[in-house]
Parts: sequence; C-alpha cells; structure tokens
Amino acid sequence: MSNPVAGLAGKAKWLFTEIKTHWNTPAEGKYVPYKEYKDVVLAVGSNYTGSKVLEYVGFWATCYLIMYHYKLPYLTFSVIGILNMPLGYISALIWWLVCDNLGFMPKKTEKKIYLVYGLMMLFGISTILFDYSLLFNQASPFITYLNGLEGLSATACFKTFGTHFLYTGWVGARNIFWRKKLVPKYGRYKYSLYCDVVPKCIMVILVGWLPVYNIPDVATRVWVANLMFATYNVFGFANNMETCTKSISPNLQERILVRSYPVKLSHIFHSVLSIFLPAIIGALRHGWADINMYRFVIPITFIASAAFTMYFAGRIQERIPQPPVEKKAQIKFWDGMFGVLKNKYLLINTVVGLIDSLGNGMLPLATILYLFTFRLEGLPYSLIVALISFAGTPPDFLSPYFLKRFSYKQIMIFYQVTRGLGNLIIALAMWFTGENLMLCGTICVVVLFFMEMTKTVPTTAGHDMNVRIGDYQMYLSGERLESFAGVFGWFTGPITSFVGLIIPLLLLKYGYNSNMEVLFIDSARRNIIVIPILVDVIGFFLMTIPYLFWDYDSKKQNMVMEVLKRRAEVTEKQAKEEGIAASGGYLG
Amino acid sequence: MSKKNKENTAPATEEIHLDIPEDEIWTYQVPGLAAPHINKPYKNFTLKKIIFTLVILVAVSLSMYFSVRTVQRETFEYKQTETGYQLEKFSNTGYITELEINSVSEVVYDRENEDVTSNFEVVGDETKPVESIGPYALNCDGTVKVIKIGANVKEIDSKSFYSCWALERFEVDGNNPNYCDVDGVLYSKDMKTVINYPCNHDQYLREKYGYEAEQFRADATEQYIKDIQTYVVPSTVETLGETALAYTNIRVLYLPEGLKVCDKLSVFKLHEPKDAYGNTPSLDNIYSYKSAEPVTDTHFTDESALGEVYLSLPEGLEIIESDAFSYNQELQYLYIPASVKHIGHHAFWDCIYKQDGELKGVSVINAAADEEAFKAVEQGDQWRPQYDYLLFKKNVEVTYGAQRAE
Repeated sequence: MSNPVAGLAGKAKWLFTEIKTHWNTPAEGKYVPYKEYKDVVLAVGSNYTGSKVLEYVGFWATCYLIMYHYKLPYLTFSVIGILNMPLGYISALIWWLVCDNLGFMPKKTEKKIYLVYGLMMLFGISTILFDYSLLFNQASPFITYLNGLEGLSATACFKTFGTHFLYTGWVGARNIFWRKKLVPKYGRYKYSLYCDVVPKCIMVILVGWLPVYNIPDVATRVWVANLMFATYNVFGFANNMETCTKSISPNLQERILVRSYPVKLSHIFHSVLSIFLPAIIGALRHGWADINMYRFVIPITFIASAAFTMYFAGRIQERIPQPPVEKKAQIKFWDGMFGVLKNKYLLINTVVGLIDSLGNGMLPLATILYLFTFRLEGLPYSLIVALISFAGTPPDFLSPYFLKRFSYKQIMIFYQVTRGLGNLIIALAMWFTGENLMLCGTICVVVLFFMEMTKTVPTTAGHDMNVRIGDYQMYLSGERLESFAGVFGWFTGPITSFVGLIIPLLLLKYGYNSNMEVLFIDSARRNIIVIPILVDVIGFFLMTIPYLFWDYDSKKQNMVMEVLKRRAEVTEKQAKEEGIAASGGYLG
Repeated sequence: MSKKNKENTAPATEEIHLDIPEDEIWTYQVPGLAAPHINKPYKNFTLKKIIFTLVILVAVSLSMYFSVRTVQRETFEYKQTETGYQLEKFSNTGYITELEINSVSEVVYDRENEDVTSNFEVVGDETKPVESIGPYALNCDGTVKVIKIGANVKEIDSKSFYSCWALERFEVDGNNPNYCDVDGVLYSKDMKTVINYPCNHDQYLREKYGYEAEQFRADATEQYIKDIQTYVVPSTVETLGETALAYTNIRVLYLPEGLKVCDKLSVFKLHEPKDAYGNTPSLDNIYSYKSAEPVTDTHFTDESALGEVYLSLPEGLEIIESDAFSYNQELQYLYIPASVKHIGHHAFWDCIYKQDGELKGVSVINAAADEEAFKAVEQGDQWRPQYDYLLFKKNVEVTYGAQRAE
C-alpha cells in the first residue's frame, strides 16, 4: 500500500514543476500559460468586484438610492419600460445586425445606420428641451391617460420617451465606432472596458452627488432621474473579463479548469469587499439610507476596482478559433434570424427561461430577509452574506469532477429540483413561523446555505452550456449570433409579459409600492414574499422538463471545435494568399 | 451510470481529427448535428419569412398589450360585498387632491376645459354605497390632501391610508356610525382608537395657526413646536392603531393614562425636514398625562390643562406591538411602566445612534418592573435598540426597578 503523504508530496512536486515549466508557454494541447492563470485571478477579481459594486447603483425599485432617497413608485418603472418598449423592438434589430457583425458592415449600410442614430439623438435632445405634451389638447383622453400613469405626467412621459431615443442613438453610434476601432485589438468581449471606463467613473460620482432626489414634484423627479441614469447606462462596466475567460481556450477541459480555479479564486476579492463594504456603510449614521454611501463609499470603491481592472485587462486573451475580421462570414438580417432558429439548444434555453419567468417581478428574498426580517447592517450583515456566499466555494472547486462524473442534463435537473424544494421550505417557514424571527430566520438561512452549496456546480455547467451553444452557433452560421438570439425573447414575450402581470399586481395588493418600509409590517412582508415564491416553486419543477432534451455532448462539441479551427486556418491562409491584412483571427 | 449518460459525459479532452477539405469548410456537417448554412442566400424562403414576420408582429403586439395592462389602473377599484362595496384601490389621476369615499365613484372629464388641474369631476353613484375601505387602498399617494369619509363607510382597515405623503386631514360625516374626526385626525366613533394621524397634518395646522412656512428642526420656535408638532392624544383613547402616527412630524407626544395598546408601527419613524435637502428624526419626548377631566383638545396649550404629566409611557399600557416606536433616534428618554405585558419585536429598534463616539437617543431603557417581574413580559426578538459596538451591535441595557424621571 502506498504512503498517502508521499503520494501527496509527489503530486505537489509534480504540480510545482508543471507550473514552473509552463509558466510562460502552455503545455502541448493546451492554450493558456500558468502566468495567465495568475492574471485571470487579478483581472477578473478586480473587474468582478467593480461590477458588483455597481449593483448598488441603478434605476430600479430595490436600489437603496431609489428606495431611500428618490422614493419613486414601484409601478413607475414598469410604465417607463412600456414607454421604451416600441423603440426597443425597432432598435434591437439594428443593434443585433451591428453586434453580430462585430461592427464591420458594408460602408453604405454603416452610413445609413449612423444617420438613423443621429436623428434619434436629435429627437431625444429636442424632447428634453421642449415640452411636446403642450402640442396636444390638455383635456384629451390621451393626455389625461398619461397624467394618470403612476409617478408620471404627460410632460414626464414625453421626456422619458425622448430620453430613450437619445440613449438608443448615443449607445448605437458608440457601439459601431468603438467596435470597429477596438475589437480587432482587444477582442469581442473586453473591448468596451477601454472606451467606457473613464466616463463610467465620472457618472458614478455624479449619480451620488447630483441632488436630483430633492426635486419635490415626483413626475419631474422621475424623468430627470431617468435621464441621469440613461446617461449613466450609456457607459458599461460589466463583468467582461469573466466573460472573456469563457472563451479563454478551445480546449474544453482547460476552459473548465480556468473557470473552476483562477476565476473562482478571483471572486475572493469581492468576498472580502462584501465583508468590509457593508461594515463601512453600517458605520454611517443612517446605514443603508445614508446618502454618503453614494457620495463616497461607492465611488471610491468602484474607481479603485476599475483602475486595477484596466491594469490587468490586457493580459487576458480570448481564444475562439475564428477567421480574421476581413474574411469572416457576413451576417445579413435573415442569416441572423434563421440562423438562431436552427439552434435547437437555444430553443431549450428559451423554454427554460420562459418557465423561469413565473418568478418575474419577485423581490429579492435574501435582501428582504436580511434587511427587513433581521434588520442587519454593518459587519453582521457582511458575515451572513459572506457565510452564504462561501457555501458555494468548496463545491465549485470540485466542478471539474462533477462535470466529468455527471451529464449536464442530470446536473441541471438536480439544480431545478433543489431550487424548488429549498424555496418551498422557505415559503412554509415564513408562513408558519413568520413572527418568530429567530426560528424563521434560522430556517431560511440554513436553506439558503444549502441552496448556495448546490448552486455553483450547475452554474458552472450552465455557463459552459452557453459557451457550447455559442460554439455550435458559430459552426451553424459562421458567427456566434449572441445578439440575434434575442429574437427568442420576442416569441416568448407575450407569455412572459402576461405572467409578469401577476406578481406586481399581487405585490401592490399586499401593500408594496414606493415605500419599501411596508415590509416592516409582518403581514405585508409575509404575503409579499411567500405568494410569489410559491408561484416560482412551480416554475422550478417545470423547468426540469426541457433539459430532458439536451443531447449536446463533449464529442459533438470537440468535433464542432475542429470545424471552427479548420475554418480559421483555411481563411487565414486565403487572406495571406490574397495579400489582405488579416486581423482579429485566432487559429486555435 | 447508464450507457447513455456515459455517452453524454464523453471525455472533454478526447482527441478528434476531422479531415475537412478546404472547399468544404463552410458546409461540412458534423454527424448528429444540423448542417451549417453560411454565406448562402435564403432562396425560396419567402413563405417562411412571411410567417416569421407575422408571428413576430403578433408576439410583439401581444407583449405590448399585456405590458400596458400591467400599468393600466382604474382610478377607483371596488369589490362587491354582500351588502355594498369595498374600496380596494385608489390610483390618483395625478390631480385629485380631495377624495370623498361614500359611494362607488368615477372620474368624468370636461373635454372643453384644458386646465388639467380642474377639468374633471369625481361623480359618485348613490345607489352603490361603499361600506368598507380595504388595506392599502391608498398607498403612497402623493397628491390627496383631504379625505372625506361619508356616512356609508362602516369599516376602515388600519392600513387603508398607508404613507399618504400629502394627506393633511380627514373629514368624517357626522352621521357615520363608526368613525369621527377631531381636527382632521381620524378616530373610531367612541374615540377609543386613533386610526390615522395624516402624514402631512402639520401643513393643515400651519394654515390653521397662521404659519406661512415650515420651520426646520433647529430653527423651530417653542410656539411652533407647541402648535404644530405637539399632539395630545385624547384621554378616551385606549389604542394607537396600526401605523396610526407613522411618518408624521410630531416632536412631542402626550399619551393618556388609559392607553392600553400601541399597535404595530403606531409611532414609527416620525421625521421632519432638517433643512431644504433632507429629513431627520423628529420625536423628542413622550409624555403621559392623568387628568380628572376628559381631554378632547388635541392642541397643546399648557401642561396644567392635562393634569398630572410625567415623562414616560403611560401607566396602564399593556401592549407595545412590533416596531411601535422604532426609528425615532431623537427620543431621549424611555420608561416602561410595570403594567406592560407584551413588547413586540423591534419595538424600539434604531432609537439610538453613535456620533463622535457618543451614544445619542435611548441609551438606556428604564423599566419599572424588577428583573424577575420583567421576565414575565412577552418579549419579541430584538425589541431593544442596538448600537455599534466594536464591529458588531450591542443591546441597550435595561435598568430594572427604575424610578421614573421627574
């Protein structure tokens, strides 16, 4: 029988030699040197932390800034969503075309799109400068209807409508301009960080310091806040580096390894911050309700994270086998539409998403539990959040094992069943033991802990499934068509919006509106939380069904990757023969 | 593991080599997967394109229809009951400042009048009496200033008028069998329960007592505090209803000895403007009074009019429900009489804070009962305020068997 200590020491020695040997150059059959693993930890860590900090800032009902300072009616956000909806549908078509061609379109098409975006911006600016509602009879049914919308007036409606035009035009024009300039150099996933980071930092500061929330008239406050947040949203700072790591290697095993270890390890920065940040906020006189949180704490934290992100961003590469930009497949409108419809696995995801919409409009359970049941703030809040977040870490390190041992189908079905059971127990605990805070809270926290534990492996599997879907789409259509895939949302829209009617109406009935403090009333909190959870539980069990049809295995994926590599190889060779400057390609 | 599962979990590192000729790179079909369609026009797809477009148009139209339905609210929503109607929900048109609740109503517009503030009328149907007002019927309304309650209304939920920020006063029909108002505050007819002290009642009081503008906390004169920010709860009152005084700007509160119940959130988060830009907690002191004569005037003139006055919750108080006095950081002194039998969770939550290392607010709870007797009181979780201590929170101490402050 071999000595386990000696075996362990041998493994450690092998690992050390392996890392040392392949620190700068990857091993045979692999693509990522270990030095880049280190950079992934730092780049993803800072980017993830920054993007998480931004979750405190947004134009939505549960943002503390909106909740405690702006005090906008809950339904107003739905109204604004509807005002923006028609333009959203039209602009999406242009947006998809631009994005799925990586910004590279025929000159004539590009000029036309720029013109459309320019006109949109002009119209948007004009609505902000002038009050278009005055063009209508103030006693007409149209104007009286607009005046009756929750939190808005006819004037505010027109300005909100125009703001979306300004936003769409501005974002659209920037999208073409910066993609063309930066995608060949930085790749498709992280390019936006380079053009957005500085204005984003400025906007984060302005959101905290502009005293828009002091505008007394609610309708004026709504449209000015909408304009401010629209400008804030023009500049992104998403979790781009982590997205980049999803395509860090054409080797499936290596991809999972990167996502399971360095990426997971990188989240430690956020875990540490999520202990300190609430503790710092808790030390402010009014805790979460203190405006200094938005004036100092959030901007300082975000700017520091952004600076680190930009320092390390250049060291991470995406490695999707693809032809050079000059030789890539041109995606026309119908190519995009029919291309995504051919992808059976996108359809499975769509059906899952459709069923998941049963929970649309629900309030975040954990937040309500911590803030309104336990009244947590400061370090105790941080510790409980950290404890629950940590629950997912150990299983995640075992992700490569679970992903080898079980099929994606099994993992995702297990995931949905555990979600369903966990939420059911929480609902029962809140219903029957709601006023006994300690008992109810303890049950909920224990269940949340187990749900978090059983969540991380399926999450990794889910991410990899999505990357595989993208690879398969690239095999089918010559591009990943991540944007055109949005058309599935159009098909399911009627059902999701119908279902989305239910929970907001229930919440309103039980007292939820612009004053979230209604959640301090036990009966209101119980109804507002439990009823939507029960609706959601049904969804979790139903969501197991579509996964029964998932049959995209690793063998198929490997063959798809071979096809992609061959295409990249041949097209680059052709480009060289034709004397074309080839950029942005990757052979794999 | 079944054979099928083994297939699904085939090694991700499996070596595969496909021999794809250069001219087939865009058309090569992987076995078991659909064939690629790249750089080829979609010919003979006209019918499919038409069907696709139609389906999309229908789907988008339905989405928009359902979404509009989400936000479309009738101004008045009623539920028919066995004997009449219940007002379930009122959604302001944006300009209704006076609301009468007595019969089923609707808004009728005068299309000739272009003034949006006056081009409508609320018309009631006398044949359809409104007998009850449901919970959260008016919720977070920022426009209604006056609510007139008619004679038909027999039942009002304690949370019917939750956080109506602009509400200045109630007017209750004298013939109403169950409710009445005194100087704009809503009570049960027998004056035993305070149902609702309007959030913006101070505006009404300012107009009544001739103050032109609101006085900020630090600048408020003694007379202003007496006239506008002091509320004498009538001596008949036995219950402060759920959310009864929540969010008002009362600074000094006089409770009658005879009050038995402070219901949930009854004195929750009283606050006032600190300056033009922000609010600050307002409630400074809670006094109790014992008067030989009935006290019906809620306007404070002089302590002598109230008989014996002491700084404490009233003797005889039995129930302090959850969050009854929470989020009142300016409250300086708290004395719990021996009569209290139940204290709900978070009853005095956040009535303390730390500033420059010094504790401010309720830094100690004085209880009349001794420690043994106090154990008999039903105590909800975290009923005591907590303050920052090192990196955690610490409960405020209770001084048992305490003497009331003079």
